[in-house]
Amino acid sequence: MNAFESISIAVDAVRSQKLRSSLTLLSIGIGVFAIIASTSIMSTLQQAVNGQLADLGENSILIQRTPTINFGTNWSKMRKRKNITYAQAQQFRDRMTSTQLISISNTSPAYTIKAELESTNPDVSLIGIDEMYFAVNSVSISEGRSFTESEVALSRRAAIVGMDVVKALFGAGSALGKTLTIKNQEFDVVGILEPRGGVLGQSQDNRVLIPITVFNRYYTSEWDASVDISVKAESKFTLESTFDESVGIMRALRGVKPWDENNFEIDTNDALTGQFSGFSSALLIVAWISGLGALVAAGIGIMNMMLVSVRERTREIGVRKALGARRVWIIRQFLIESITLCQLGGLTGMVGGLASSWAVTEILRGTMPTISYVMPWGTVVFSIVICTVIGLAFGIYPAWRAATLDPIEALRYE
Amino acid sequence: MSQPIIEIANLVKRYEMGDEEVFALQGVTLTIARNEYVALMGPSGSGKSTLMNMLGCLDTPTSGTYLFTGENVSDMDDDDLAEIRNREIGFVFQTFNLLPRATALQNVELPLVYSGMPRAERLQRATQALERVGLSDRMDHKPNELSGGQRQRVAIARALVTSPSIILADEPTGNLDSKTGQDIMRLFGELWRGGNTVILVTHEEDIARHARRIIRLRDGRIESDEVNPHAPVA
Repeated sequence: MNAFESISIAVDAVRSQKLRSSLTLLSIGIGVFAIIASTSIMSTLQQAVNGQLADLGENSILIQRTPTINFGTNWSKMRKRKNITYAQAQQFRDRMTSTQLISISNTSPAYTIKAELESTNPDVSLIGIDEMYFAVNSVSISEGRSFTESEVALSRRAAIVGMDVVKALFGAGSALGKTLTIKNQEFDVVGILEPRGGVLGQSQDNRVLIPITVFNRYYTSEWDASVDISVKAESKFTLESTFDESVGIMRALRGVKPWDENNFEIDTNDALTGQFSGFSSALLIVAWISGLGALVAAGIGIMNMMLVSVRERTREIGVRKALGARRVWIIRQFLIESITLCQLGGLTGMVGGLASSWAVTEILRGTMPTISYVMPWGTVVFSIVICTVIGLAFGIYPAWRAATLDPIEALRYE
Repeated sequence: MSQPIIEIANLVKRYEMGDEEVFALQGVTLTIARNEYVALMGPSGSGKSTLMNMLGCLDTPTSGTYLFTGENVSDMDDDDLAEIRNREIGFVFQTFNLLPRATALQNVELPLVYSGMPRAERLQRATQALERVGLSDRMDHKPNELSGGQRQRVAIARALVTSPSIILADEPTGNLDSKTGQDIMRLFGELWRGGNTVILVTHEEDIARHARRIIRLRDGRIESDEVNPHAPVA
């Protein structure tokens, strides 16, 4: 009865003092919101970047229409950029002289793959690749083979699948030579990817690779028809010259005037990693400091609310003491109440933070088709813990005041 | 006379109000035996309330001794006193002092919660106590859904539920009309006849007349302590 009663008293307190309590709960909510939203968005972005970086091998350069991480740059300018078409990418490949390790690919998230009676969840990444893909990227085949040049050129319906997909569709049996269906098109499985495990809880084995020519015909829409070009320099020493050559050829192909900026993104994998981690840790630090600051301010508000509550219920405390409540019972009651208040505020902030980070992910999907939402479980747990800690830390003084009231004075209190 | 529950000797209570010292009790000696029915009377300022707080283990004396069923409570700390109150004393207040958000049953259960009794047993005992005061049909009502007399009955059930050594009632009819007051006094009479020890604190002669023994205080001392000649026959 007591814990439940204390919780319902806390809810009553919120109801009877709407303005005062909602302001206090709001500040807790803002604190939790800042922490949850920032962590969630950052993990989502990190996962998108890591997914891409995990594929890129050493000494690699990635050319894309828009950057994977897209903040602080001019959004509308990005959106006006023309697609890197497959034809343009092929021309680029033909003109490059410093290296032959060039692969053209395109990624699309969230497809359902079917085979006979089985089907996967609608979350399989579909990647269109060419015959150079495995030579350039740090992805390899464990069973079967890659696509041949003619298979890519002739749009053959062949597929290379990740282990997650194999398990979902074919169970323990071998997948090689089987048939699977993606949006009404049938594919023969010719290869199986080496399992890679997860990056930030997101499996890297949940993907299907098909020839990019087939991909472009059936699985792209206007906004994600732009392809990515991966270029691998022959060594660390030629990376810079390969980078310069790539920039020159892309500018020529896309008709960029000498005085204009690049209308495409080109980065080495090192630069991508560095850019992102610098940006994300700065943002996380700011968000967490302001979030924790808001929580401490909220804690002071909670303490004030609890002190008022103790004063208003002086007589009740007197009755409880007269009936034989020891100090620890009174302390317990008021601590449960203050923790409940904190959790109510925290829950509001958490729901808000999760909803808005999910919404941000959906908006970013417009320019970053491979992004997928990462639920920040660790931070959710952390928020619940920190709300409890704040309820305890700022509730203990009011609770102690209540517990040490003189029962005679308290019973006489009007 | 059976074994005494309360043995008080030379009890003194001194308060400091600013620079002044006020002696609320100036050497009270008193013995109350099991199954007595005592009324404690006196005008305001007589030390009546102070003595009641002492008897109820809500306060400790400045000097003198207080043995409660043989146990010395004169210098116990806050938590020990709470335990004695929980186990040995049932309070009934003038203003009922029920918890407004809790039902009658939950109010009666509360002392048992503090004594750490398991839930099933608690419910059974609280139900029995409410039946005893004639409120078995009002268990799930909140205090504001009950009349004044019914509220005081809930408070009496709460005082009874732990089977305490004494029931200490402070002006129990003060907030009730005279007819309801009579009903409540009849209930105390029944409890006494049932074997309980009842101590009434009152300034009304009519109420005190129900008790078997009347103790009058004046200026922090016992003025008279006599058997009530008007007491109804047991």
